[in-house]
Formats: sequence, structure tokens, C-alpha cells
Amino acid sequence: MAKETSAAPMITVNSLNWLKDNLPVVVVSIFSIVLFIMIGFEGGAPQLFNVIVTGGMWALLATGLALVFGVMNIPHFAHGESFMAGAYVAYFTFTPLNRIFLASGSKFLLYLGPFLAIIAAFLAGCVLGIIIEKIIFAPLRHRTKEGWVMNAFLLTVGLSFMMTNGTTLTLGPNFRGISRYFDVPSLEIMGAYIAVDRIVAAAIALVTISLLWFFLRQTKTGRAIRAVSQDETGAQLVGIDLDFIQTLTFSLATGMAAISGASLLFMFQAYPTVGLTPLYFSWYVVMLVGLGNIAGAIVGGFIVALLQSGTQLFIGLSWQSVVPTAIMILVLMMAPSGIFGSEVKGVQEQ
Amino acid sequence: MLELKNLDSGYDFLQVLWGVSFTVEKGEFIALIGPNGAGKSTTLRTIAGLLKPKGGDILFNGESIINKRPHIISRMGISYISEALNLFTDMSVQENLLLGAYAVKQRETQLETLEYIFQLFPRLEERKDQLAGTMSGGERKMLAIARGMMSNPTLMLVDEPSLGLQPNLTYQVFDALLKLRKQGVTILLVEQNVNATLDFTDRAYILEQGKIVMSGPSPEMKANDHVRNAYLGI
Repeated sequence: MAKETSAAPMITVNSLNWLKDNLPVVVVSIFSIVLFIMIGFEGGAPQLFNVIVTGGMWALLATGLALVFGVMNIPHFAHGESFMAGAYVAYFTFTPLNRIFLASGSKFLLYLGPFLAIIAAFLAGCVLGIIIEKIIFAPLRHRTKEGWVMNAFLLTVGLSFMMTNGTTLTLGPNFRGISRYFDVPSLEIMGAYIAVDRIVAAAIALVTISLLWFFLRQTKTGRAIRAVSQDETGAQLVGIDLDFIQTLTFSLATGMAAISGASLLFMFQAYPTVGLTPLYFSWYVVMLVGLGNIAGAIVGGFIVALLQSGTQLFIGLSWQSVVPTAIMILVLMMAPSGIFGSEVKGVQEQ
Repeated sequence: MLELKNLDSGYDFLQVLWGVSFTVEKGEFIALIGPNGAGKSTTLRTIAGLLKPKGGDILFNGESIINKRPHIISRMGISYISEALNLFTDMSVQENLLLGAYAVKQRETQLETLEYIFQLFPRLEERKDQLAGTMSGGERKMLAIARGMMSNPTLMLVDEPSLGLQPNLTYQVFDALLKLRKQGVTILLVEQNVNATLDFTDRAYILEQGKIVMSGPSPEMKANDHVRNAYLGI
């Protein structure tokens, strides 16, 4: 008899404890769901779609950032330039191709053009990532691990300067843009008209994230990447080539950022400093969810997009950057290692 | 199989090993014993490639390995079971084991070895989806040894497996090592539990302050006065 009556309070106590331990996650989840519904009511399908497009962009960028920090312990502040590189490659691929395809008269080729541009941007991003890693980070890593985090950070800042100014020098500061990728009428979804470019951008982001997730969870190399981020020494002891994994990780992160920049060319255009806002927001996401947390980065991207959209709708367009940042400061005061917690090893442990 | 010649090794600021030389023949079960701070872990870490020696040489099957990177040494057939275990704490037991076989090309061989490991360590199979970081100390040591075996190594370097373990678990660990030995794996064991170690091993080297001071067949070592005094408390 005594056991039955004590079971009920035990369950409540356990749930309360769980709530206390995971308070930031619960608060943010409830807040996000409520916000999502409010945005849906107030702004309708176009606003919800904005959230998905923007969220996908932040998720792609933040995941790359989380990977680079988790696997290589590099606070990457030139990530926006990967976005920029993708935008430029897409512009210089799409514009001439589109002219040729228009002349050919083939509808199929016209629809293929944007995808070719985005794939070209991805490949260019991967190659750029390999070059940067092998020239800048690998030599430092082999020389010394002392002061690694600070050194790596400074290197990325320098890299950012070089890339933005180098682009201005060679290609000029002017905006290179396109008005749209697909010359088709907007699709009607849930009573509102949404540009096909946005739909495609959202789809590409979601597909890329899913592919990355599958790669990390189910393939041998993906598992190796996760292993290096959890225990570098352990990874070496089971035969994993650290240099290869580091280069691969950086290459993938740069490639994914390039996809983001390319698929959103119609929205952001391509110019030397286009990467600044993506850089800041992807860092917000990563800090919000916990450094190195990859699953968190994906979810966090959409949460930040929700915050932006909500701010836009209910407070005002100009507050779009202020409110999410303020909320992030609050969250970090409550939960310094991010709302989902940080998985990375401490730097001193290396 | 393994030969250390006049090895000098240590850390940036501190030399720990001074002209260490010893051999391990194929199929042997060798113990490396000594007090805390003698340099036993340093020796194993240098062999595994995690530390670069300052002088001397290490030969594995006649080939010098001092300039090889740790993952290459692992792929050559040397498995190092570190004292820190270096498990992938946010991955499941099964994922850790599969990663142990990272360098094994054939998927079937990986799965065969996994099945064999599960037979040797049924506790690990029971917990195969459990996160490595949530397991008890003894289970994690088992997992670390099992993971080291997944690559079918020819030489295993085991660093203080019984540290912090209750006696019956220590017995299980040593039992697993003996089973490995029967499979033909050569083992170099660093241990502080000298009593049990000298019962199981063929030969022993005594390392004190970075130098080999004594060596010989384990039964001889067990009967030796200095050893009895310093390490067996007799």
C-alpha cells in the first residue's frame, strides 16, 4: 500500500527535476511554437515561408560553423566570405549560362540553369575550403597547438579582410545581382503567392541539411568526423587520419555556406561584404544552441528565423536584428553553454 | 616484434625516459612495472606515436616507427588502450566498436569481429545502444579494450587497466587479456597491480625514474627481493 501512494508524488518530482534541468530548452520550445502559430495567423503563408527560407539559410551556415568549431576548434569568422564566394560563383555561372539557354529556347535548360549555378558554387566552395585549410590551418596545426583557439580566430579574421578586400579589388564593389532565377509565375500556397525562387531555396536548404545529417549519422566517414569532434586522441588511436578529416570538414562547411549564398542570389545579390550579416547571424545561432552542437545548429537556425520574423511582424522591420540579439543575450545569461548544451571538448584537454 | 633502442622521450619541458631499451617477442605477454611517475605511460604513448621521442629508436617488425603518425601506427597493427580510455562518450557502445574497426576495409570482417567481441564481452552486447559516457568505470574499460581489438591488432599496449577497478572486475579484465593472448595477440601491459600482473605475464621489465633497472621471467621477478620490497609490500 505504501508503495502505491508514494509512486504518484515520485512521478511529479521526477518531471519537475527534468523541467528544472532542461528549462532553457522547454522555454525556447514553447516560445517558438507559440511564435510560429502567431506568425501563421498574422502573416499567413508568405511569412511562414520566409521563416523556412531564412531558417534554412541560417541552419546551413550555422551547421558548417558548428562543425568547424567542434571538429577543428576554430572560431571561424570568415564564414560569411564562403557565403559571398558562393554568391559570386553562382552569379558568374548563371548569367552567361542563362543567356545561352534563353537563346536555345529550351524550357528544360532554363530550369536547369539555376541548379547548375548552385552546384558550381558548392564545388567552388569545397575547393576553396580545401585550399584555405591546407594553406592556412594545417601548417599551424602541425607546428604547435599552443594558443590554438586565439591564433585560429585571428587567422580567420585576417582571411575575412583579405577576401572582402581582394574581391573589391578584382571584381569591384558593385552589386552583381539577378532579379530571379526562375522566370515563372509565383505558386499559390495556402491562399498566398510565393516566388518559386524562395521555394527552391528552401527546398535546397532542407535537402542539403538532410543529406549532411544522413552523412554524419550513417556513413563511416561521417562517424569519423563526429569521433574527431568528441575525442581527437581516441580518433587517432582507431586509425583515423586527422588531417584528412579536418580538410574534409572545412571543405564541407565552406561548400554548404556557398550553397546558401548561391541559392539566395536573387535575394541578397553578390557583393564583397554580403557575408557580414550571414556571419553574424550564424554565430548567433551557434552561441544560442551551444558551441559545436550540430543538431542544435539546425534547429537553432529556424528558431532565430522565427525570432526575426516575429520581430518584423509584431514590432517593426528595423528591430529585426535588435530583438533576436537581445533575446540571445538573455538566454545566454540563463544558460551560458547554450540552450542545448555544448558537446565540444575543452581546448585545454588537447 | 617490438624493440626499443635507447629511447629518450618526454614532454617539452621534461625528459622522462632515459635510454630505455627492451624487446617484446611475438606472442609474448610482457609486463612493464614501476612506481608512479616512472615513465610507463610515457613509454606506451611514445610507441603509439602520440609523443615524439627525443632520441633512440623504436622498431616494429624491424621497421622504425618513431616518425610515423599515430593513425598510421594504429593501422600497422598496434592498438593502444590508453589510461584515459579516449572513448567517444557521446556515441553508443556499438558506434565506438565500429569506429574501432575504422581502418578495416571489408564490411564483413568488421561485422564478424563485432560478433566475436560481443561473445567475449556479453555485457557490452547488452548495452550496445547505450552512450559510452554513461557507463560505469569497469564497463568503459571493457569497451576501450574491446574497441582496441576491433582492428585485429598484432600488438596491444594496455595502460593500467585495473586502475580504479574493484577486484572482481580486475579479474575479468585480465581474463579478457589472457583470452586475447590465446588468440595470438602480443601484449605489453603497464600495471600497478604487480601481484596479479606477475602471475599472468611471461616476462617483466621494471622501470624506475625513466630507466630499466631490472628484467626477467615473471616468476623470477616475483621472487626477487627488491621487487618484493618495493612493489609487493613484503
